[in-house]
Amino acid sequence: MLLSEQDQFLSYNGEVLVFQLSKPKRAEEVGDKTMNLCVRRMAFNRDTKLFVQKSSGVFSMGASHSKIEMICCSCTTDSRTGIILPCILMKQKKRNNVKYFLLLLHSSNQFEPSFYFKLDYELKEDIRLFAGPSLLWRHANKLFYISSNTRVVQSAPVQLSSVVWTGEIVGEGTVVLGIRTACLPETEDPDGFSVSDRAIWGSEFFGYAIQTQKMLTGTCFMPHAYGRVVSSVYVCKSERLKKQLRISLVAVTHKNQLIWFQNGVPKGVCELPYEKPCSVKPALTSSNDLLFVVSFASGNSCVVQRRDSLQVASKWQKVKCVLVDDFIGSGSEQLLLIFKDDSNTDVLSTFKITDLGEVNYASGINYKHDVPAADGLQENGLLTVRALETRLQAGWTSVRELQQHLGLQKRVILESCRALIDLVEGRTHILPNSKEEGLVSLWDDVENPADSLSKETSLASEVPEHFIKELWQRVVGDSLVVGVKLTESFYLSLSDVSLSLVMDQDFSSISPLIKCQSKIIKLNKAFSALAVSSSQIEPPPKKMKLDLHSKNDLKKEFPKRSSRIQLDGAKTVTAVTSLSPLLAFHRVRCVVLLHARKQNQQNDSLQQSKKITVLCGKIFLSLEDISNGRYSVKMLRDNSYCTGSMEDTLAVLAVSGRFSFQIVSCDCTLTPVSSWLLGEMECTPFKECQDNIFCHKAGNVHGTIFNWALKNPFEGVLTIFCRNLTVLFQCLHSLGRVLPPSCSVNLLRSGSKGVLIEQLALALEKEMLTLKNSLFLKETKAGNSLTWGNESAKKINNAPLVSLLDTEEGVQQFRKELQNEREESARSMNRTMNGALYQKMALKIAEAQLSSDMMVWRLA
Amino acid sequence: PEPGCLQTWAAHSRALVGRWTTARCGGRARQMRRQQRDEFRALLLSIRGLPAALPALPLELTILYNSLLFTVGASDSAIKQEPEGIRQGLLRVLEACGACGEDLGTEELWQKVLQEVTVEELQAPLHRLGALQAAWWLAASQLGSVAGLFQLLSAAEDLGRSPCGEVQNKLLSVIKAWQVPPEGASLPLVQSAKDLKEILCTAAAFLQGLQELEAGNFPTALSHLQEAAGGFCSKKILAKIYPCLGCCAQQMGKPQTALQYLKRALQVDFQCLPALSHVAAVYHELGEIDAEMQALTLLYEALGNNPPAAASSSPYFLMQTELLVHTPVLTSLLRHHHPSEVKYLLAQRCLQYGRVADAVEHYLDFLSLLQEGLQQQVPLDGSSPLPRIPEVFLEAASALEQAGRHQDAITLCEEVISRTTDLIPQVLRVEERLEQPECPLPGAGLAGGLLSQKESLCCLAWRAAGYLHQGWAWAKLGESKEAVTQFSRCLSDLLRVQLHGSGIKWTENFQAEVEVLQKIRLLSLIGRGTQFLELGRHKEALLDFQHSLQISSGDPAAASYLVQALWKLNRKQEAAAQWQKFSQGSPGEDGQQQGQGRPLPLYLVSCLEQAMFPHSEPLARSIQDYLGTAAQDTS
Repeated sequence: MLLSEQDQFLSYNGEVLVFQLSKPKRAEEVGDKTMNLCVRRMAFNRDTKLFVQKSSGVFSMGASHSKIEMICCSCTTDSRTGIILPCILMKQKKRNNVKYFLLLLHSSNQFEPSFYFKLDYELKEDIRLFAGPSLLWRHANKLFYISSNTRVVQSAPVQLSSVVWTGEIVGEGTVVLGIRTACLPETEDPDGFSVSDRAIWGSEFFGYAIQTQKMLTGTCFMPHAYGRVVSSVYVCKSERLKKQLRISLVAVTHKNQLIWFQNGVPKGVCELPYEKPCSVKPALTSSNDLLFVVSFASGNSCVVQRRDSLQVASKWQKVKCVLVDDFIGSGSEQLLLIFKDDSNTDVLSTFKITDLGEVNYASGINYKHDVPAADGLQENGLLTVRALETRLQAGWTSVRELQQHLGLQKRVILESCRALIDLVEGRTHILPNSKEEGLVSLWDDVENPADSLSKETSLASEVPEHFIKELWQRVVGDSLVVGVKLTESFYLSLSDVSLSLVMDQDFSSISPLIKCQSKIIKLNKAFSALAVSSSQIEPPPKKMKLDLHSKNDLKKEFPKRSSRIQLDGAKTVTAVTSLSPLLAFHRVRCVVLLHARKQNQQNDSLQQSKKITVLCGKIFLSLEDISNGRYSVKMLRDNSYCTGSMEDTLAVLAVSGRFSFQIVSCDCTLTPVSSWLLGEMECTPFKECQDNIFCHKAGNVHGTIFNWALKNPFEGVLTIFCRNLTVLFQCLHSLGRVLPPSCSVNLLRSGSKGVLIEQLALALEKEMLTLKNSLFLKETKAGNSLTWGNESAKKINNAPLVSLLDTEEGVQQFRKELQNEREESARSMNRTMNGALYQKMALKIAEAQLSSDMMVWRLA
Repeated sequence: PEPGCLQTWAAHSRALVGRWTTARCGGRARQMRRQQRDEFRALLLSIRGLPAALPALPLELTILYNSLLFTVGASDSAIKQEPEGIRQGLLRVLEACGACGEDLGTEELWQKVLQEVTVEELQAPLHRLGALQAAWWLAASQLGSVAGLFQLLSAAEDLGRSPCGEVQNKLLSVIKAWQVPPEGASLPLVQSAKDLKEILCTAAAFLQGLQELEAGNFPTALSHLQEAAGGFCSKKILAKIYPCLGCCAQQMGKPQTALQYLKRALQVDFQCLPALSHVAAVYHELGEIDAEMQALTLLYEALGNNPPAAASSSPYFLMQTELLVHTPVLTSLLRHHHPSEVKYLLAQRCLQYGRVADAVEHYLDFLSLLQEGLQQQVPLDGSSPLPRIPEVFLEAASALEQAGRHQDAITLCEEVISRTTDLIPQVLRVEERLEQPECPLPGAGLAGGLLSQKESLCCLAWRAAGYLHQGWAWAKLGESKEAVTQFSRCLSDLLRVQLHGSGIKWTENFQAEVEVLQKIRLLSLIGRGTQFLELGRHKEALLDFQHSLQISSGDPAAASYLVQALWKLNRKQEAAAQWQKFSQGSPGEDGQQQGQGRPLPLYLVSCLEQAMFPHSEPLARSIQDYLGTAAQDTS
C-alpha cells in the first residue's frame, strides 16, 4: 500500500496503528463517492526486526460533494467504559459548512462514530482530543469544546492566544493550559527587580478546568514570562500537597530551549539543536532515564536526556513522526522514529527503534543516523581526559619533588661520608663553598639617596644668628595651634623640645600656664618615586654603598639639588591647646616659650646636656580676629593641588591624630591605594610638600591628610592624619574595599618596624655603654689606692673586636681579654665611691634603661 | 506580589556573587571558578530563553559580565577567541530596543549600540561590558579597536571633552579618560570595573611597549614599559615587564640601567630566570667576564635545582594582565633557557676567554648531557645559542687540546670524522648553475640544492677540521708521522670540493663556508710542513709552505716557516731575500687581512695559535747575522 502524506500514525499497546484514507478500487470504476478509512495494526517482530501487519479494518464513508480528511488522532479514555481507545477526528467539508466527526477504534478493528458537529468555519488552531472522548479548539482567541456526553459546542469564558497543553490535573479534571495577553493590575509599582513578569513581558499563563469551569493560577505551572516563548508543554507530574498544586512539567520554546519546571520554577535549561520546536513528550526507557522527545517544525527530532542536567542525547533529521511505546515488549518504553522516505513507499519501511541504551533496531536500508554521538558525552570525555591529565601532572610534580629530595639526601650523605673519611685519615674537613657568593653587585639593597639626603642636607650650614625663624598661630576647629619654626642646625643641637604657653596678663585667680600639647612635625619634600624609573640618565657603573654614619661622604656624593629642599630644613615645633577656655577672656596675650635640652658641641651622649628655655615671642588672640577668620586654615582646591600654606598644613597635622599603616601585598602592586586616594577620596597634594595629600571629599572625612610612601611596588606605609577615630575607621573601611584581600594592613604604633628596631639597638647600646662607663669611671679609680695600673691602657675598644673574631688566634686573644675583664670587675666590686657620684650614676643608668624599655614597648 | 523571573534571577546572581566573594581566597579556588562559570552560564542561558526586555537587560548584561569573567578565570590560559557572549548581549540590547544588527561586525555593533541606545539604566552595564570587550581585543592585539571603543565610551559620557592631545599615547589616555560607572549594590560584580580599567591600562602599556620594542623604537618602548611597570599588576607580570625594560635599555646602549631593571625583576620574582640570562648577556656586552660567568653559573644551578613550576595565579582576580599579554616577542624575550644551553654558553665563554680547564669541564658536562638525549630537551628553533653539534665537538676537542689532553681530543675528532663520512659526496661540485633561472624547479630546486650544497660544505669543513685537530694533536704528542697522515687526509678531503664560477650570488651564498675551508687548508699545509721539518724532509716542507703562501700570500706564519725551510735547505740567500720581502711587506698587509676577515669559527682559533711560528727571534737573528756577513763579504 502506498504511503501518503496524510497518513496518521498512532502507537497503541505496543502496536503501531496506521490510518489511511483511500477510495475503494471498485468505487473508482463505478464513480461511487465513498471513502474508506483503513487501519492497519503493525507489530514489531524481534526476529525479523521488521514491522508486520497483524490485522486491519476498514470504515466506509459516503462522501458525495465533499472532501473527507483526517485531522488528528489520539488515544483517549472512553467515558462509558473507562477504556483508552484510539480516536480519530475526521473532517467533511461541504459547501457552506464543515462537518466534523469523531471515530473510536475498538480492538476488533471496528470503527464506532462517537459524535459529530457542524461549524461554519474550519478548525485550525490548537485542536486537542481528550477524555470523553472530547475535543477542544481555539478560534478567534476563544476556547471551544465539545464532548461525547454533551454533544454541544460550548465556549469557555476566556480570551487566549494559544493552548499549550491539555490534560488531567489531579483534583481538577481536564485542564487547558493557555496563554493570554496580560491584564495588569493597576497597582503595579515598577521598583527595582520586583517588576512582575506580566509587566515586563506582557503575557500570562492560566489554567482552565473544563469540568468545573474554574480558572487556575498559571504561576504554579511556570512564570508568566515564559508565556511569550512557550510553544508546547508536557505536564509530567501533578500532585496536591496541603491543597497546593505541585506540578512538574517540561516546555519547549521559540527560543529553542527545553526547560524543566518544578512548581513554577525553572530547574533546568537545555538548548535545542534545531529551530522551531513544536512538541515535546516524555519517554521512560529501561535505563531509568527520563527522555524528552522534541519534534521540530522542520521535520527534525531530538532527544533530551535528564540526568544531572539536561543534555541533548541524540538528534535526527527527516523524521516523519516519533512514537513512544513498548514496541519490542521489553517492559519499558522505546522511541520509534519513522523517517520520511521518498524512495521506499511501503509503510514502516524506514524506521528506528531505540531507547538510547541497549535497544537499537533499525531498518537497515536507507536510514540515516545523522549525528552519531551526543555532544555532551563527548564533552564529558574531554573533561575526564583533562582531569586525568591534571592528576598525571600533579603526580609527576610530586615525583620530581621526591627525586629532588632524594638528590639532596644523597648529597648530604656523600658530604658526611667525606667528612668521616677526612676524620679517619686525620685531615681537616673543608666544607664546600657555596657558589652563590660573590655576586654582590646584583643583590645589594636599594637605598634611597633622596630620602637620606633630605634629612641631612643642611648639616653643614653655619650656625644661624637667629634660632627662631617664625612664630605663627592657627585656629583649627576647637583648637589653637601655635607653631615655632626653628632653624635646622639649632634644632639638631636640641633634644626633648617642647613649647609652653604662658598668659601675659595678670588674672589673679587663674594660673597663667596654659595646658598644651607639643608636637614636632617633619615634612619631607622629596618624592617617593622609584629611582630607576624617574631617571633617564645612565647610572654610574657600580652603585655607591651609602654609609649612613659617614655624613661627610654623603654630602660629597650628592650635591644639594636645589635651594628649596634646603629651605625646608627648618623644623617646626607646635603646641596645641583648647581654644574655647582662652576665648573666655575675650582678648588674650600669651608668651610662647621653648624648652629643650641643649647638647654640647661634641655629639657625646655621655656629656651632660643642659636644659634651656628660649622666649620665642608673643601671640595675641581676640574673638574678633577669630570671627574674621584671620587665623583659620584655608585649604582650597586649585587645579590638581591644594592651596594651603605650610603653616596651615602644619596646623592641621598638629591637631590630627597620626596613624601609620604598613600595607603589604603579596601578589599585586599597590597602585589601587594611590588611585583610591586621588579618586575616591578626592585628594590633592599640597603644593609645598607633595608627599602629603589633602582629602577634599565632602562629609566627615574632609580635611583628613594622607601620606602614602611606597617602599617598593608591593609594600608601602600609609599615614593617616585624622580628626578622630571615627574618620579613621571610615577611611580604613573605604580602603578595605579597594585593596585586594591578599593585602595585609598593619598598624604601626610609631614609625616603621625597621626604624624602631634600629632605635632599640641604639638604646640598648647606649644602656650598655652607660653601665660600662659608670663602672670604669676615673673618679672611682682615684678613690681606690689599689694598683691596677696597666688597666688604663686596656680600655676596651669595640672596633677591633670584629676583626679579632675572624681568626682562631684572635678568638683566643679575645677570650683572654674577657677573662681579664671578669677578674677586674670581680675586684672592682669591692671598691668604694662617694655618694654623689653614685647617685649620678644610678640616675644615668635608670634613664638609659627607661629609654630602651620604652623602645621595647613601642616595638611590641 | 507574585515572584517574577527578574527577581529570581537577581537573587540567584546575588547569591552566586556572594558565594564567590566569601570563598575566592579559599584553597579550592580553581574548582570554585569552574563551578561558578557553569552556574553563571546556566543562569544566562535561562535568561536568554526569554525575549530581551529593557527592565531585565541591566541584570542580564551584568550577569553576562560576571559570566565572561568566570570564563576567563576558569580557563587560566591566555584569552584567545572572541567571546560570542558579548555579541549576543549587544544583539539582545538591540532586540529590546526594536533594532537589529545581525549583519554588523562587532566593532560596528558596538558603535550602533553605544550611539543609538540611550536608556539610562543600560549605560553602566554596557560600559562594563565594553571594558571586557576591550580586554578581548587587547588579547588579540587589536589596539586600534580598543582605542575606538574607549573613544565611543567616553564620547557617550560627555561630548564636550576634547579629544586627547597626545597622539603618541592615545590609547592609554583614552582608557584613562574613561569614567568607570559606579558599582551599584543591586548588580554586584565579581571583579570591579575599576580593577578592570587598571588591568587594561597596564596591559595596553605593556603591549604597546612590546610593539615598539619589536619595531625598534626603544625610547618610546621604554616609556610605555615604564608606564606598565608603574601600573596595577601582579608580581608575575611585573617580573615580565622588568626584563623587557632591561632588554630595551640594553638595546639603547644603557647597560647599567638594564642591569638595574633586571635586578628589579629578580627582586620581584626570584624565579625570573630569563632575567638572569639577560644579566649574563649584559655583562658579556660590558666585557665583565667574571660577572658574566658568575651569572651563567648561577643560572645553570637555578635551572638544575628548581624546574620552573607553574606558578599559580592570584586567586582573587579573574581577569589578569597576564591573560591579555601573550605576544611572540614576549615569549622570545622571556624564553626559558635549557640547562644544556646554559652549559654550552659557559663552555664557549670559557674557551673564548682562555679559561681552558673550566672550558674542558663544561664541554665534557655538556657532552654528557648530550648523551642523555638533547633532542628532547632543547628547542632547536634558531633562538637557541647552541651551534650545530659537530661544531660543539670540535670546540670541545679544541679545549681538550689546549688543556694538553691530546688523546682525548683525537678521540672526539674521530667521532666527528666518522659521523660525517657518509654525508660528504666523493666530489662536491659547487656550481653557479644553481642561480640560473632555467633551473627546472625554480623555487624548491634552488632552495633544496643550495641547502644541500651548503650542508655538504659544512660537513666537509667539520671533517677537515677534525683531521686538522688530530694532526696538531699528534704533532703535540711527537708523533710526526701520524700527524703528517692526518694533515694529508685533511688536504685530500679538501680536494673534493670543486668550485666553479664566481658570480656575485655565488660568493654571497658560499663565501663563509669557502673562507673556512681555505683557512683549514692553510693551517693544514702549515701543519704538515712543520711536521715534515721535524722529520727532516725539508723539501716537502718547503713545498707545503709554498702552497700555503699561495693560498694566503701574506700569512706571517707560512712565510716564516718558508724562510726556515729554505734556511735549513741551506738556500740561505733565498731565505734572506724572502725574509726581507716579508718583513717589509707584512705589517701593512697583515693588518689589512685581519681587519677584513670575518671571525673564525671558535674551533679553529686554537689551530691558528698553534700554527704561529715559534722561533721568529732566533731565525731573525741568524738571518740578520747572515745578511751582515754577506754585506761584509760584498763590501
